[in-house]
Amino acid sequence: MYSLEVKNLSKSFNNIKAVDNVSFSVPEGSVFGLIGRNGAGKTTTIRMMMNIYLPDSGEVLLRGVRIGQEFKDKAGYLPEERGLYKKMKIWDTLLYFAELKGKTGRETEKKAIQYLKKFELFDRRNAKVEDLSKGNQQKIQFITTVLHDPEFLILDEPFSGLDPVNTDLLKDIILDLKSSGKVIILSTHLMDFAERLCDHIALIDHGKIILHGSLNDIKNNYAKNNVILSCATDINFLKDSVLVDSIIDKGNEKSIKLKNPDDSDKLLQLLVENGIKVKKFIAGEISLHEIFIEVTSNGSSSNKEVANV
Amino acid sequence: MFNRRTIAVLKRELKNKLFSRTFILMTLLIPIFLFGILGFQTLIMTYSGNDKTNLVLITEDSNLTQKIKSDFNSLTFVKNGIIRFDYKTLSKAGFMGYLDESRKMLLEDKISGIIFIPGNALKNKKIEYYSKSPKNYQLFEKIRDPLNTTLLQVYFADKKLSPDEINFVKDKIDFNEYRISSDRKIEVEGYGNTIVSFLFSFLLYFSLIFTGTMVMRAVVEEKNNRIVEVLLSSVNSIELMTGKIIGTSITGVLQMAIWMLPLVVVISTTLFVLPPEFAVTLSIWQVLYFLLNFFIALVTFMGLFASVGAIFDNDQDAQSGIWPIMIIIMIPFFITMGLQSNPDNTIARIGSMFPFGSLIIMPARMALIDVPVWQLLFSFVINIATMLLLFPVAGKIYRTGILMTGKKPGWGEVIKWLQIKY
Repeated sequence: MYSLEVKNLSKSFNNIKAVDNVSFSVPEGSVFGLIGRNGAGKTTTIRMMMNIYLPDSGEVLLRGVRIGQEFKDKAGYLPEERGLYKKMKIWDTLLYFAELKGKTGRETEKKAIQYLKKFELFDRRNAKVEDLSKGNQQKIQFITTVLHDPEFLILDEPFSGLDPVNTDLLKDIILDLKSSGKVIILSTHLMDFAERLCDHIALIDHGKIILHGSLNDIKNNYAKNNVILSCATDINFLKDSVLVDSIIDKGNEKSIKLKNPDDSDKLLQLLVENGIKVKKFIAGEISLHEIFIEVTSNGSSSNKEVANV
Repeated sequence: MFNRRTIAVLKRELKNKLFSRTFILMTLLIPIFLFGILGFQTLIMTYSGNDKTNLVLITEDSNLTQKIKSDFNSLTFVKNGIIRFDYKTLSKAGFMGYLDESRKMLLEDKISGIIFIPGNALKNKKIEYYSKSPKNYQLFEKIRDPLNTTLLQVYFADKKLSPDEINFVKDKIDFNEYRISSDRKIEVEGYGNTIVSFLFSFLLYFSLIFTGTMVMRAVVEEKNNRIVEVLLSSVNSIELMTGKIIGTSITGVLQMAIWMLPLVVVISTTLFVLPPEFAVTLSIWQVLYFLLNFFIALVTFMGLFASVGAIFDNDQDAQSGIWPIMIIIMIPFFITMGLQSNPDNTIARIGSMFPFGSLIIMPARMALIDVPVWQLLFSFVINIATMLLLFPVAGKIYRTGILMTGKKPGWGEVIKWLQIKY
């Protein structure tokens, strides 16, 4: 069952197609990653999902019904470019944004206190937003996103500008929210995060979706031919081997693409025969980063959708 | 358009504005400023220069010189020494010689001026004034009447007229102004209503521009800080704009009502009795009409100011993009300034029933003359229609502009935004 379906969304600015016929589906209870380079069309897509931009064509469905105010009330949105009223007090800010979503009263206040304590900002609740550090402002922004207990969380580059400690804190909260059944959609250009957090992804490049599906399926599909190798000595001789299609040198590790997925045993044998000291040899493994590089550098715009999402 | 989200925005706007330092300061300072201006104007008008004026008054007939001297000595400004006269009797030729001798004294300001009354003045009343700066209207204003009186008395002295008859000739016509209104009352008209009319138009003009600039700044700030994107994920742009504008307008009307309080006290109670020349003929209904009119004006113009704020993403650009709105506020304001010399002029009458003009001119007119009810109603309908037509247009510009960043859009582009269908 899909909670959200994005269907054939397109949006142009001054005759430049920012988003070009984008479609993807977000399953219930998943963490969905919209990944792509800067300027690929992630934010524009998300803004159309939030009904901030109106698409030139296409639609977004919430459980089969076109999205409207109901979705806005159910969603919490953290935009890429954060924004709060500088002169407003933190406490007032939190309650104001919750009120806009229709949440007021004791329950909301209690939650606000909980979140402020969690982020160690409770003592500063009567300070003005402008008196906080940038990182702390980001935390406040995040609380405004989740305070009304949204069913959907839409986070545009949620980790940008956070230090490692707060990044982990935010990651934990996202996973917490996931386990309580929320649907989380996040956009990022950081493949590591996407790989660790998301179960489903859509890869967007130049306004088009070029890869879409469950992360496991995608990785399996791309990893079949791939071997990750770590060794002390030079392996240049492999370049001429009939088994190998290409080698990507990643410093400590090399990522070797085989012509035939069944040849990994032969490759290992070849390495041993040549007296190479193998430290690590993983067949059928690939990082999202590599997939990303591969599909975006192909220049192919064909929709490589993975079946059985 | 009015739902809990609009109300939430409205509430924030009210809370934010009503308890702000700016609001409290403005509410207190504007009346002080206004009275300051009035006082300053009066001061300028009555300021006659603290330099003593030394004049030489010369006639060709010693009897006339004596008569003028004795008449002038009873004048206040002569008695308290503001103007000092030296009297001489010289013939025309003698005068020319004297003038030559005194040239140096005149240039060194030892003598401020020489008044020469030729013999012919008793026929044609032409008097000569010689000075380094001869266009001294303030002086002429002061001595014209007393001199005229003396000349008349001399002229009629051998014509056997009684002093009463001479006084009749001398007196100017005195207009007593009465206001005729539909309620059959006839009242003496003083300056009171002129001041109220000025007050109405000045406060409208000032508040619209001041509040408008604030709204514009707030929109630019929201756009700049990207708060708007967070807001738009909860509310739509029309709800946001409506809440913001209604909130601001309520604040504005509240402030205006505070300013109107003294006026209401004056016209409805007998706590303060104004001197008759400052008596104000105004009903509470007119004050209420003014406040309602102000509310409509705020909603109408704030929409425009908000949309200009949405077009630009910094204060400087926004300030320079504001001129079309300034024009439609300033032209009616200038028309109201002309009302004081003729409250029923045609331009004002038409202007007060024309979009935008009706918001600014009608209150000022209404304070001066008894505007026919149909004109008031017509103007009111025009106001409402302008507001209802303009608000969606402003909304369209607002909702498109608010999310645009980067290049400053041209007016052509803004017109294109109007054609975007939502």
